[in-house]
Amino acid sequence: MIEGRDARVRDGTSGGTVGPGRNRVRAMKAFIADLFSTKLDKSQDRIKLVACVFLLVYGIIAGKLILFGLRQDQTLGVKRAASDVIAAARPDVLDRNGEVLATDIKVMSVFAEPRRIIDKDEAVELLTAVLPDVDARELRERLGSRKGFIWVKRAITPKQQQEVYRLGLPGVGFLPENKRVYPNGPIAAHVLGFANLDGVGISGLEKYIDGQGLADLHGAGFSLTPDDLKPITTSLDLKATYAVRDELTKGIAKFKAKAGAAAILDVDTGEVVAMASLPDYDPNTPADALDPNHINRLSVGVYEMGSTFKAISIAMALDLGKVNLHSRIDARDSLRYGRFTIHDYHAQHRLLSVPEVFTYSSNIGVARMALMVGVEGHKSFLRKMGQLSRLRTELPETADPLVPKNWGELNTMTIAFGQGLNVAPLQAVMAVGALVNGGTLVTPTFLKRSEAEAKKDAPRVVKAETSESMRYLMRLNAEIGTAKIADIKGYFVGGKTGTADKIVHGHYSTDRVFTTFMAILPADKPKYLFLTLLDEPQGLPETQGYRTAAWNSGSVTGKIIERTGPLLGIPPRIEFPTQPFPLLAKLGYGMANAPATGGGGH
Amino acid sequence: MVRILNLLAVVALIGSAIYAYTIKYETIFHAERIVKLKHEIKAEQDQIGTLRAEWAHLTRPERIQALADKFLDLQPVALTQIVSADALPAKAPRVDAIGRKLEALGLTEPTNTPRDGEASAPTTPSIRTR
Repeated sequence: MIEGRDARVRDGTSGGTVGPGRNRVRAMKAFIADLFSTKLDKSQDRIKLVACVFLLVYGIIAGKLILFGLRQDQTLGVKRAASDVIAAARPDVLDRNGEVLATDIKVMSVFAEPRRIIDKDEAVELLTAVLPDVDARELRERLGSRKGFIWVKRAITPKQQQEVYRLGLPGVGFLPENKRVYPNGPIAAHVLGFANLDGVGISGLEKYIDGQGLADLHGAGFSLTPDDLKPITTSLDLKATYAVRDELTKGIAKFKAKAGAAAILDVDTGEVVAMASLPDYDPNTPADALDPNHINRLSVGVYEMGSTFKAISIAMALDLGKVNLHSRIDARDSLRYGRFTIHDYHAQHRLLSVPEVFTYSSNIGVARMALMVGVEGHKSFLRKMGQLSRLRTELPETADPLVPKNWGELNTMTIAFGQGLNVAPLQAVMAVGALVNGGTLVTPTFLKRSEAEAKKDAPRVVKAETSESMRYLMRLNAEIGTAKIADIKGYFVGGKTGTADKIVHGHYSTDRVFTTFMAILPADKPKYLFLTLLDEPQGLPETQGYRTAAWNSGSVTGKIIERTGPLLGIPPRIEFPTQPFPLLAKLGYGMANAPATGGGGH
Repeated sequence: MVRILNLLAVVALIGSAIYAYTIKYETIFHAERIVKLKHEIKAEQDQIGTLRAEWAHLTRPERIQALADKFLDLQPVALTQIVSADALPAKAPRVDAIGRKLEALGLTEPTNTPRDGEASAPTTPSIRTR
């Protein structure tokens, strides 16, 4: 084009006949006029040129956009890449008095961007020198990968951070993260469970919290700060939980038991106020939690509860009107059924009244009462009490009870005294709680709740009179029966022992037992139900070699009551109530209100 | 006249421009301060969280009991040591113990201030040399 224009200009000059000075001026004028001419025939080329240039520019832009679109990962910032892997914030977990059970703290974590690291071998060498517990070979492998972001080490100390910073490695940086800490260590570990390094709840309440929508929020990309999250208030009392665990530890050591568990349940609200299962683990080192010996024995383990189940059986017979407190049960001789014979541990060889069946813990008496009710009635009562189906609480770890497939009369007889049906101890606690709280079955919970809330949709399972009879029987048992050891001076305690022989190779062992103890406090208007269980406790010289529940689980429960009673705000009484069981007195069982201590212990 | 008006307009223009820019820069300054303060608040809150965790760790019952067993001469409270509020004895009549002590020392008696303005006369009781 330029050449063409030049040619035209040259044409103009060659055709002119005027002088060279003027000629030049005219040529310039012509050239400029030509340049700004808008005649269509002349501007066509230029329009084409402009169109070409625009096309080219837009083409480049479009091409570049496509290029960007294809190689997106390189342009992402570290923050974006890290947001998927950074540990999420979790709400605090508090005990019922506001003490911290689990909280988040901010820690620094070292990350690396493998693509930006120049000398990977040198980086590995320097990093492992500063962070000795990082595996060099594995780190080298991960740095060699094509990922844009890897963690070198999570949760480092400020000193280590300073040292890594001083290395001055390109492509290595720090990000603040949330780390879950459990300041109380193993106390309440089974209830709390734990969260992993990425802030995902793995077990216990931590998993329950995630199930309540927290995980979904994180998944949707909301990065929550701790201030947005309302703390979770559990039903546990930290001090009582510590006391329970401490006494249980001492008890296990004293009786050389394999394992043990203890719990305190508020029978009105269903709140588990304290709970311990030993051996346990420290949630700050979660690898220990996977040891199968560290399970929560209260909700994951299923056991034959032994004689504590007799409370349920007697309540059943009383509630269905098959017996009353004055009834006599034949316990003169062992009970034969086919080739099986049921014996009594404290055999009396006479007719026993219903309270005596309870205080002597007579297998024969309870088996006969269950037979009066019949197999179907027994089954439906146990189902109503929640003993035949899995108990669901906030804790994700639960177990199904082991129910016999063919439930015949023999099963009914053995289950009546606590053998042949394996339930989770928490389940049995729930049932006994319902028997003594006035008759409503309240599901245990690990979160704080009020009585009204708990009883809103709790079904009534036994009559109020039956409930009061059970209180009376348990109180009587603590005064003169097998639960004497837990009758703490100053408290109006009721209790029931349970000793179950363990099954070894399909037979009931004679030297391995599983002992349980349940106590209610105060017996005239129970507020708390205490449970202690010991797995394979040994006889001691001071227990005259006995390994039955009264000696071991009972004494541990007594200590727990003595220690936690004041903590839980139960005032000791100098004088016991003169009319602890008014309903029974009205029904004509005046003997319930007379102290039985004079009646002679057994 | 028109020239003055023009001049005024120019001055007003420059003035408003300066004012607008001042506001703009102040806004930026404040926005930066807000961001900075927010970061500081965040850091403080993290600190508080860490300290709370530390406090909970240091006051965990396990440690307190170990320390109490080691350094304190206390025993677990027995149930017999707990009584209700109405079992407490009635409050004794109010006694001004300090007042009584002062009275016994004889300090309530009127002090005889020297009237004659004799500065050298001792005002505190001392051995009389007369």
